[in-house]
Amino acid sequence: MSNPQVELHILDLGVITIELDAEKAPKCTENFLHYVNKGHYDKTIFHRVIPGFMVQGGGFEPGMTQKECDEPIENEANNGLKNNHYTLAMARTSDPHSATAQFFINVADNDFLNHKAPSMQGWGYAVFGKVVNGNDVVDKIAAVKTGRKGFHDDVPKEDVVIEKAVAL
Amino acid sequence: MSTPTVLHQPVPHVQAPQHWQRVDFISDLHLDAHEFTTFDAWVQYMAHTPADALFILGDLFEVWVGDDNQDPFALQCIATLKATAQRMPVYFMCGNRDFLVGHELLNASGMQSLSDPTLLDLGVTSKAKNTRLLLSHGDALCLDDHDYLAFRAQVRRPEWQAHFLAKPLTERQAYARDVRSKSEALKRNHTGYADVDTQAAIDWLQATEAQVLLHGHTHKPAAHDLGHGLSRWVLSDWHADSQPPRLEVLRWQREHASNPTHGLHRHCLVKD
Repeated sequence: MSNPQVELHILDLGVITIELDAEKAPKCTENFLHYVNKGHYDKTIFHRVIPGFMVQGGGFEPGMTQKECDEPIENEANNGLKNNHYTLAMARTSDPHSATAQFFINVADNDFLNHKAPSMQGWGYAVFGKVVNGNDVVDKIAAVKTGRKGFHDDVPKEDVVIEKAVAL
Repeated sequence: MSTPTVLHQPVPHVQAPQHWQRVDFISDLHLDAHEFTTFDAWVQYMAHTPADALFILGDLFEVWVGDDNQDPFALQCIATLKATAQRMPVYFMCGNRDFLVGHELLNASGMQSLSDPTLLDLGVTSKAKNTRLLLSHGDALCLDDHDYLAFRAQVRRPEWQAHFLAKPLTERQAYARDVRSKSEALKRNHTGYADVDTQAAIDWLQATEAQVLLHGHTHKPAAHDLGHGLSRWVLSDWHADSQPPRLEVLRWQREHASNPTHGLHRHCLVKD
């Protein structure tokens, strides 16, 4: 069976197609598809953009309004997938098992985010997919100008909006 | 009551290559066209530092009104930064005074921008843990300074910045003079600087697996032991005309770095 794919339609910038690794990251894949299918990501923004590092989204509406999320999931960072350029990983708080809807796309090989040990600090960030089409759109997001909004740094000056997320 | 501070994860990271033997950290120079002696000391330092990398952790400038400012002082600063950046990597984190530094200045000077906070992994293994410094300007951790945090939230909004940068340069320079005179007043009565919240510092360090928080902003140079093997090192501000002059670089040396803080030393620069 082929892996599921999801399209992120980014307003004015284009479409990013992501392939999810259902075999190595079953929980993250199921979780991401759950949020896609209930329309959670539609009209959310990439709210944190750090060139040379990652672009993060899926948790806020324009105006930095945080969206309600469902229960956090188990961290699958020990699945052998690496935080390499154009991979998709789950964002979280300092608690390793706190990921809900927010995700990020690596825009560099970020080895230091990979799983090292099943400890509070060594867990790393769970990779569960990769961009298979639309690397140029990711590059455009990483290049937008950023500033600060409230207690959030690195927020794009012009909203980068996910118009809709579609499971193929 | 303290305002909760959010550590956004994941935190960006700089990996120090093994050939970095000396790494310099400076902050709070508050460079200004009217402070000639501090500026001259900085130019001398930039030309002669033996460091392999330089990290500037905020408030390099007393105020920065926009990258389109091409007055002689701004051009001199750019030329000085560029000459050093041709010898070694120069990293720039903005502070509460120079948050309007943009892509144009970074490109013209050859500096690499740092997000606040950023982890620096020095690549020294101690007790099976890598030595990691968490670098920040520090202002976001001064949780009791409510007036300032409100101001910070306002001026760092993209809308405020776009509005400000759209004003004529002369108007922005007048604003800069106003900021400077208020800063002078604060320095005189010493009521202006809050301190970093200890618990917030510990939270940030534990969340990032770093051992040392290194920051400026407070103008209270010290090394605080936070327990649990954690510490907080505070950079000094620069003022050449004080007695004794405050011209200080925090330097990390690999040869002394059997544990993260053993490699850190304060170097006072003596004026010529």
